[in-house]
Amino acid sequence: MAFFRSLQDSDFTNWFLGSDSIWTYPTVLTLHTIGMAILVGASIVVHLRVLEVGRGFPIERLRALYKFIWAGFAINLASGVVLFITEAADRAVDPVFYIKLGSIFLALWLGVLVKRRLIDRADPPRATITTSRILSVSSLGLWTVAIVAGRLMAYLKK
Amino acid sequence: MTDFSAWLESTAVSKSLFGLSWLWPTCESLHFLGLCVLIGGAGLLDLRLMGFFRGVAIRDVKAFMPWAIAGFFTNLTTGVLFLIMQPHLYLSSVVWWCKIAFIGLAGLNAMFFETRLSKSALALAPDAEMPRSLQLVGALSLFSWFAVLYCGRMLPYLGTGN
Repeated sequence: MAFFRSLQDSDFTNWFLGSDSIWTYPTVLTLHTIGMAILVGASIVVHLRVLEVGRGFPIERLRALYKFIWAGFAINLASGVVLFITEAADRAVDPVFYIKLGSIFLALWLGVLVKRRLIDRADPPRATITTSRILSVSSLGLWTVAIVAGRLMAYLKK
Repeated sequence: MTDFSAWLESTAVSKSLFGLSWLWPTCESLHFLGLCVLIGGAGLLDLRLMGFFRGVAIRDVKAFMPWAIAGFFTNLTTGVLFLIMQPHLYLSSVVWWCKIAFIGLAGLNAMFFETRLSKSALALAPDAEMPRSLQLVGALSLFSWFAVLYCGRMLPYLGTGN
């Protein structure tokens, strides 16, 4: 806890939050939103397709969208770490933050399962298709939870 | 515009909506979800027009557009609610007007595609080389939507009018 406190009270945090420049906090926050749009946007397309939206779109071509998913995730992991440092002590005790992190990792993991079980397989059995649909619905629900939790975190700021 | 803004904010509708403490955060969450659906669905078509996903028919990529349009209307509705509740945050902000301009650009571009290019685009063989005009329309659309996102997110930090 003392460690998180020292991060939140560090010179870096003071400079990052106190600066009048748009290139510190506002830009990192905006990158976090751009990364979200890419990560969640691509995930939504993948899962909608698994749920039979755009049936003509070949399932195996969804593989390319995972590159966008991982690129968006990389942007948000990097920007998220910076944002966390500046509020480390507050977030470390914020249950909504843990709900957000938990739902992100679970949503991503379900996305990976859908890829391994369905997208990467040439001729998936009927049962796999059904399971994948359940995984996709769950993943979409978890992304919704992650976004709502992320937004609500702004209201729990001290 | 300041008069209009002050008038709108003094109306009973504006005051009572802003008085609902849950409404603003709820609209924000919906606005974020809507932008993901919009950029996901529209971005897929944009990328296809730019030449990605070669071999996939444009018709099959367009199947995600009703979702993108639903995302757009979610954000239009929640956006209008923000405007009614706190007009001074937006109407006097240059960045907000830039955002509106980029939404207009994206809309005109989409209309140009639908009315002038869509028919020939749908007739293209799935593995055909994308004509330059379609590549440009796709790139302009993708750029505009990210510009809309940028202006929206930077709104509180870039030359806020108050």
